[in-house]
Amino acid sequence: MTRALELESHDTATTQTAAARTDEGVDTVFSFRELARLDEALTMSSRETGLRFTLYVGELGTPTRARAEELHAFSGGNTSEAVLIAISPGQRVVEVVTGAAAARRLPDRACALAVLSMTTAFAGGDLVGGVVNGLRQLSDQAGRPSALRHH
Amino acid sequence: MTVAETILVFVGAPLAVVLVVALLTMVPAARSRRPRYKPGQPWNHDPIWYEPHPESTGHGSDHGDETTAIGSSVYGERHGADAAATHAVSGGSSALGASTTGASVARAPQPAGPLGGARGTW
Repeated sequence: MTRALELESHDTATTQTAAARTDEGVDTVFSFRELARLDEALTMSSRETGLRFTLYVGELGTPTRARAEELHAFSGGNTSEAVLIAISPGQRVVEVVTGAAAARRLPDRACALAVLSMTTAFAGGDLVGGVVNGLRQLSDQAGRPSALRHH
Repeated sequence: MTVAETILVFVGAPLAVVLVVALLTMVPAARSRRPRYKPGQPWNHDPIWYEPHPESTGHGSDHGDETTAIGSSVYGERHGADAAATHAVSGGSSALGASTTGASVARAPQPAGPLGGARGTW
């Protein structure tokens, strides 16, 4: 994760203090550039729509839907406005879960369309590109929140 | 022009050019080799959860709990419970209850009514 940043910590940690972020080791799932793309896509689509988009990458177990919905309850903030994109590359499954308020602006059909474009990219081995495009579609569909529209 | 010269010019020179171009394209790719995801391969990474940065950027916001000093972080500094959410992408691995580090820890489950969404496989 902190590959492009400083890896050596110069803080005042002792043997008794808890591990710093730099002690966790370097995350090798995505490169720094890919992480930056993900970060920007998540932040900008959340800020544009007022919904809270989060992305989970990891095993989902079986059944994947139940696990994804369980995760959605933990996604923080106001979960009824949260949208969770859960990807399990090992199982080749992607689940999009929308909360009750988010589902009004993101109907299941729109989610299915975004999922379709994501799976096309995933099948080509492009995880980050698929997620970024899927987020773009979802946020385009959701539009601006009504509170911002009346300004 | 002898035969040797002819071969040198018409075979050797193009070959040299092709080799240089091939090296220029292949060396950078071989250097930055990282395990790339291919469909069908097992996924041996810890679960990661990426979150967006918090809403306000610390410029003229009305969040009293936030540092707005010039020179502070672009995203503003958060204190208390909000602080965890600040480390958006780097917050990293939260295996949901299993891990004790990361951003989404110690969050109470908050079921959000009737859920919608879609599933896809590839």
